[in-house]
Amino acid sequence: MFNEVKTVVDSALQLRGRLGESDASTPLLGAIPELDSMAVVSLIAALEEHFGFAVADDEIEAATFATLGSLTEFVQQKLHA
Amino acid sequence: MSGSGSRAPFDAFFLPAAGGERFCVFHPASGVPAGSVLYVHPFAEEMNKSRRMAALQARAFAARGYNVLQIDLFGCGDSSGDFGDARWNAWNEDLALAADWIARHTEGPMHLWGLRLGALLALDYSRQASASFAGLLLWQPVISGAQFMTQFLRLRLASEMLSGAEAGQGTSALRSELAAGKTLEIGGYELSAELALAIERLELARLAPKDVPAQWFEVNAEGKPSPALRRAGEAWSAAGAEVDLHAVRGAPFWSSVEIGECPELIAATANAVALTPA
Repeated sequence: MFNEVKTVVDSALQLRGRLGESDASTPLLGAIPELDSMAVVSLIAALEEHFGFAVADDEIEAATFATLGSLTEFVQQKLHA
Repeated sequence: MSGSGSRAPFDAFFLPAAGGERFCVFHPASGVPAGSVLYVHPFAEEMNKSRRMAALQARAFAARGYNVLQIDLFGCGDSSGDFGDARWNAWNEDLALAADWIARHTEGPMHLWGLRLGALLALDYSRQASASFAGLLLWQPVISGAQFMTQFLRLRLASEMLSGAEAGQGTSALRSELAAGKTLEIGGYELSAELALAIERLELARLAPKDVPAQWFEVNAEGKPSPALRRAGEAWSAAGAEVDLHAVRGAPFWSSVEIGECPELIAATANAVALTPA
C-alpha cells in the first residue's frame, strides 16, 4: 500500500522518481515545492480516482499531507471505512 | 494562428453560433479521408493544460487519414461568451453545430473524442444526437460529476490549508451558495449555479452509449486501469454497451503544473480509431 500511494504521489506531482529512497517519515507538505494548491487538489483527486473513495472537506488538513506515512495511513483508513 | 513549420496544415476559423461565434480548428486528413473526429475539450483550466496533447493527437489522426475538428465551447478558449454564462445544454448545442459542420464538409464515419469532462459531454451528446457516430474515444473520463465539482470547489480549501489559514467555507457551504443560485468564483473561473448543478448530476456509469462502441483510455503511472474505472466499465457492459479499456503509462497532463505530453496515449488512440468498424 505504501508503494502504491508513493506511486500516485510521484505521478500526480510529476516528481519523476524523486521519492525513490523515501520511507514513511519522508516529509511532503513544506518539503516538496510542487505541492501548491492546484497540486494538492490534483493529488487528492488522483488518490480518489485511483482508489475509488471520496475525501471529505474536513479531511483536507495539513496533518494528512505531512509525510508519506501519514498519507498512507489516511488512504488505508479510507479504504476500510 | 497558423500551422507551424513542416507540421501538417490546419485551418482556424469562427463558426457563427447562438450568442456569437465559436472558435474552431480544422485539421484536414492527409490522403484519402477514412473518417472524421470531433474533439470535446475538458473543463476550465484542464482545457488549457491539455491544449498541446489535443493538438498532437489531432495531427496524429490527420496523418492517419482522419479529418479533425476542434471547437472551443461557449465561454471557453477563443469563443464568444463568458464562462459564467456557459450552460451544459448550450455546450450540447455547440457540439451539434460542430457535428453538422463536419457532416457538410467531410465524408466518412464520424467519431467523438472527449477528454475528462469533455468525455461526459461527448457521451451525453451522443445519446441525444440526431447524427450517428462510429465510435467514442474517451480520454480519462470523469467518473462522477459530483466528485469532479467537489475537486473544482476544493481549490479554495487547498489554498487555505497551504497558507495555514483557519479553514473557511467547506465545499458543502459553497454548494449551498450554488443551490441558492449564486455564481461562485473558483480559481479564476465564474461558475454559475446552473452549470454546476448540471455537472453534479452526471455519472459515467449511467451514461452508457446507445449503439456506439466506446474506447476508454486511462493514463497513470502503472499503465493499468484503475479500480474505479474498471467498475464503471463493468456497469456499462452490464447495460449492454460495448466498451474497451486501455491504460497507458504517463502523467496527468490535464492537471500537471508543467505542460506534459504522453506519446503512448497518442499512439494507442490513433491505433484504436483505425480499428473501429465503420
